[in-house]
Amino acid sequence: MGCAANLNLAAFCQQILVGLSKTTILFIVSSGLSLVLGVLRIPNLAHGSLYMIGAFLTYSLALLFGGGGLGFWLALLLSPLCVALAGLLMERGLFRHLYEREHLMLLLFTFSFTLVFGDLVKLVWGSEYRSLPLPSFFQGSIETFGLPFPKYNLFLLAVGPLVAAGLWYLTNRTAIGKIARAAAVDREMVGAIGINVSLVFCAVFVIGCFLAGFGGALVAPTQNITQGMDHGIIMETFLIVIIGGLGNIWGALLGALIFGLTDAIGILLLPQYAIVFPYLAVIIVLTFRPNGLLKSTW
Amino acid sequence: MKRILASTMMVSLLLLTMLPASALAAKPIHVGIVDCYSGPASTYTNDVLDGFKLVVDEVNAKGGVLGRQITYTTRDSKFKVGLGLSAAKELIMKENVDILMGTINSGLALAISDLCKNEKIPFFATFAKSAKITGEMGHRYVFSMNENTAMIGKAAAHGLALKPFTTYWIAGDDYEYGHALADGVWNNLQQLKPGVELLGQSWWKVGEPDFTPYITSILAAKPDCVIIATGGRDCVPFLKAAKATGFNEKVPFYMHTATELSTLKPLGLNAPEKVIGTSNYHFHYPATGANKAFVAAFQKAYNRLPKVGALYGYTTAKLIINGYEKAGAVNTEKFIDSIEGMAIDSPVGNLTMRAFDHQMMFPMFMGTTAKVEGYDFLMPVDLVTIPGSDVIPSVEEITKARKQ
Repeated sequence: MGCAANLNLAAFCQQILVGLSKTTILFIVSSGLSLVLGVLRIPNLAHGSLYMIGAFLTYSLALLFGGGGLGFWLALLLSPLCVALAGLLMERGLFRHLYEREHLMLLLFTFSFTLVFGDLVKLVWGSEYRSLPLPSFFQGSIETFGLPFPKYNLFLLAVGPLVAAGLWYLTNRTAIGKIARAAAVDREMVGAIGINVSLVFCAVFVIGCFLAGFGGALVAPTQNITQGMDHGIIMETFLIVIIGGLGNIWGALLGALIFGLTDAIGILLLPQYAIVFPYLAVIIVLTFRPNGLLKSTW
Repeated sequence: MKRILASTMMVSLLLLTMLPASALAAKPIHVGIVDCYSGPASTYTNDVLDGFKLVVDEVNAKGGVLGRQITYTTRDSKFKVGLGLSAAKELIMKENVDILMGTINSGLALAISDLCKNEKIPFFATFAKSAKITGEMGHRYVFSMNENTAMIGKAAAHGLALKPFTTYWIAGDDYEYGHALADGVWNNLQQLKPGVELLGQSWWKVGEPDFTPYITSILAAKPDCVIIATGGRDCVPFLKAAKATGFNEKVPFYMHTATELSTLKPLGLNAPEKVIGTSNYHFHYPATGANKAFVAAFQKAYNRLPKVGALYGYTTAKLIINGYEKAGAVNTEKFIDSIEGMAIDSPVGNLTMRAFDHQMMFPMFMGTTAKVEGYDFLMPVDLVTIPGSDVIPSVEEITKARKQ
């Protein structure tokens, strides 16, 4: 009962499309985590909290600007910037003094941030969940493969490749990207040639935070905006970063694709047991490639 | 020496008259409340507390029950069974509570129920919906103050059997509540309408953020109707995804609490229409004087409309007060005897606490969501009342469950 009653080619293609839109969010959030992990060597558990704050800020800012289409676009732009600013304060105020510490210490330190941010969200927004409506032009769906596909998911499908291209340009074509990659390999040597490594690290951390906030802003109109939304995403993105190869942004993209697509296809093929599919994929990948699919920077 | 003695006596007398009246009054009746007050569950539980306070404050202002005030102490379980159980123990041991009530978490309700059975303290389960509470794990000291999964199942099956659907899909939360609810609906529906066919099932984790892949997968199977067994915080994102995919326009679906204010209010006018739902309470239905008076009092006290939890808090307070009054003494055994089979007035009419299993017999209201002029959120329309006596499990069913 329940197995493959709904299986046909059109449904399969549709489900891949739905899975890809989910991949977008996973990729954006996990690429930020991977960037910080790869360059700064910080396993930032508070990354999920920044994602949650991004979603709450989007909710508040969108309503502040009138709740319409303009409010939505402004909130989508401003809330990740606010999260990035918070990242700047965190990095300059605390993290830059801790880069040489053991990973376990950093892990505990960032974990304590998740508790602080959790209480902060409760103080500012209260414990009730919030819901942000989609702007009118994103409401409804279009037909793809004979099935409805939400218009907003189409927007997500467009955003994913744009972010990936932007990150590729940043890391491969800009000076800061090249320096960051070099600093990730040999921090002392980069410092010896007169580059202010501390500032490069700061910039990378801020970009990582921006990506977390941007992920939160993108999901805000589709989900419950609630305390605890940080827990789910941090677990999934850490798994994605691990199967992709620690600190490798393209690994994060590959990991997000595996996670998002196995989830969507699992729901179609064996809906009763769909929960296990992405985790099964993680187990299979790590069995054959314990260090992840692509080269780890650790 | 005499003068010193006389002045000491005078001062003592003066001090005695200055003592607050409460210090000389009888010991209050102390209620301990354990519930989840942090996270999404607080949307439901704060209303239970406020509904309870509304009645208790009014009674206290009139001098209390049997000359005693009713006081209460709350503890936050944070939806964790261990934390909630320790809080319940602390309330019994240190705070010496006479009664325990609360919890939206079924696992915690069952744990506190077990504790109260041993400690011989009455426990009023206010929001946990597991049928086990008064079913197979029921006992003398536990009372259920809301509808359970068996009652929801019967009510939904009654309503769905009247509709022309034959093929179904079931989807829901992969934990106790989801499975119990789905089983309740499906088993009853099969009995009422033997021709129904289940095409398949989907189960997601509690707190699933994105329901779109589940919905597209269900649509591909083309069932006549879908039973959604999801609760609490997952209702809102599910309905959002249903609206975004046009699920509600393509396939009718039933979801318990989909028509309840706690679910519809956060979505505003962006909730999907034509969703079939059941609930124990609506602020506008039944449009009786009792309900209107309750809504007015609640709005005056808290400046918001009461949700279903307010009814549970209200009825629990009423039952406690009437129970002690009838018992005539603050004595646990007499109190339990007096509330067994007791009927109380409520905003949804006369309610009876069934003596056999300590299950409050709430009616269920089934309706569909629609835009109604004058409201900035969707409202349930075409409401039908399914009496509590029609949905409560039979005494034979409870006896059988307890023997197993």
